[in-house]
Amino acid sequence: MPHAREHRVVGLKRISGGSSRETYAFDLEWNEGGETRTRPMIGRRDPTGGLLKSDREREFKVIDAMHRAGLKVPEPLFLELDASVMDRPFFIMHRAAGQTGMGAFPAAEAESTRAKVAEDFIGELARLQSLDYRECGLEILGAPKTLEEPARIQAAHWAEVYERDRMGEHYAILDAAFAWLKANPVVSDRIVIVHGDYRSGNYLYDENGIIAMLDWEMAHLGDPMEDLGWASMMFWGREEFAGGLMEREAFYRLYESKTGHRVDRERLFFYQVLGNAKMAVICLTGIRDFVERRTSDAVMPFLELLLPALLGDLATQLRLV
Amino acid sequence: MLRPTLNELLNGMQRTIIEALMPELTSPYAQGQAMSAVAMLAHAAAVLESAPAYDAAEIKDLRATFAALKRLGDKHISKKGGLRGALARAIRAGSKNPPDRRAMEESMAAFATAVALGNADDSVARQVRGYLRRNLERSRNLLGSSLPSA
Repeated sequence: MPHAREHRVVGLKRISGGSSRETYAFDLEWNEGGETRTRPMIGRRDPTGGLLKSDREREFKVIDAMHRAGLKVPEPLFLELDASVMDRPFFIMHRAAGQTGMGAFPAAEAESTRAKVAEDFIGELARLQSLDYRECGLEILGAPKTLEEPARIQAAHWAEVYERDRMGEHYAILDAAFAWLKANPVVSDRIVIVHGDYRSGNYLYDENGIIAMLDWEMAHLGDPMEDLGWASMMFWGREEFAGGLMEREAFYRLYESKTGHRVDRERLFFYQVLGNAKMAVICLTGIRDFVERRTSDAVMPFLELLLPALLGDLATQLRLV
Repeated sequence: MLRPTLNELLNGMQRTIIEALMPELTSPYAQGQAMSAVAMLAHAAAVLESAPAYDAAEIKDLRATFAALKRLGDKHISKKGGLRGALARAIRAGSKNPPDRRAMEESMAAFATAVALGNADDSVARQVRGYLRRNLERSRNLLGSSLPSA
């Protein structure tokens, strides 16, 4: 904004959502050529603690690459890594319109809206997985060297976070799940950009469909079945509806028709087991940060209440009950 | 009995937040945090009453399950995954006063892992699955089965 003068932040307020960062909404006003202009903005600042430990520069670069590739994401505008400016690093994005939810797509929404969101949800995933990460400049995410690596890397990463954040407790089902994941790695058919948290609740939508996919902080390179497995976990949807959007088998058929790739059920199952274990570990991270006073977010202790559903799903998947 | 009791205190703090604090909060984010705190205080008050019974049932079930596994004898307990050592440690942990629950849970994790990997025989797997089923049921009764639904 080289010709902009007299910048003003108007109506700054903290908002819920995006639990891995402090999120603020505001309008930026400025003078340009004698005219007052305004633009809705979102600021995301590093937290003192919370659900995830992630790198904001990496997240910003991924959103920027997705925006340049034409995916539905908020336009990223400024990145500030110097913590002296606002205590912690932050970045600014355009504030897109639309609404979001906590998890499953709301059952009360109009059928036509649900159908459009479902179509866009799979459509955007197909577009994401069709991108060449090298052309997007995303080698920084660390390309797996072989097709065997994605499953091993992700399982090992979340097992490590579990060891770090379980506070000395042993969750029998989680211990068993990580042992199973280590013993049963799957082999990918290609390497794609993985969003890492692709699910209902992580997009803005209106009656015309999805406006923007959000929360790219867990993006990495890996197996295309990882995002599909995560998105279709029972945890995010009502019993028969993946993400509250569409009957599960129809969801997979739509994915196959949009991507031209078949859904590999063995890999899908592996990533659904990993997904439940990963989500349980994310809960443990939030609980630990609350207990150890790195965050005062009152939502964090509620994560304990999510564990019975996640552990129950894992126990069923691994025939532990 | 000292008054207010812990339960009365938690209920009173909920009213303080709702009646005294909430009307003064103008930010939706702060209001949301306050309501989360109210809900957590309500949860704490409920759990406070049921947690001792939950803990007692867990310890009793862990002891009973390991005793049943011991009765099966060595021929059923695989050497794989250090199960024999895990069982011995669990029996010792359960006989301590007070019982070492964390050590028993660590041993149960070793048995659950053996079942998940197919390294436990049927009679062992039956005992472990039975415990995990009851453990999940107790957890659901204590914490509910919440999902992040909109």
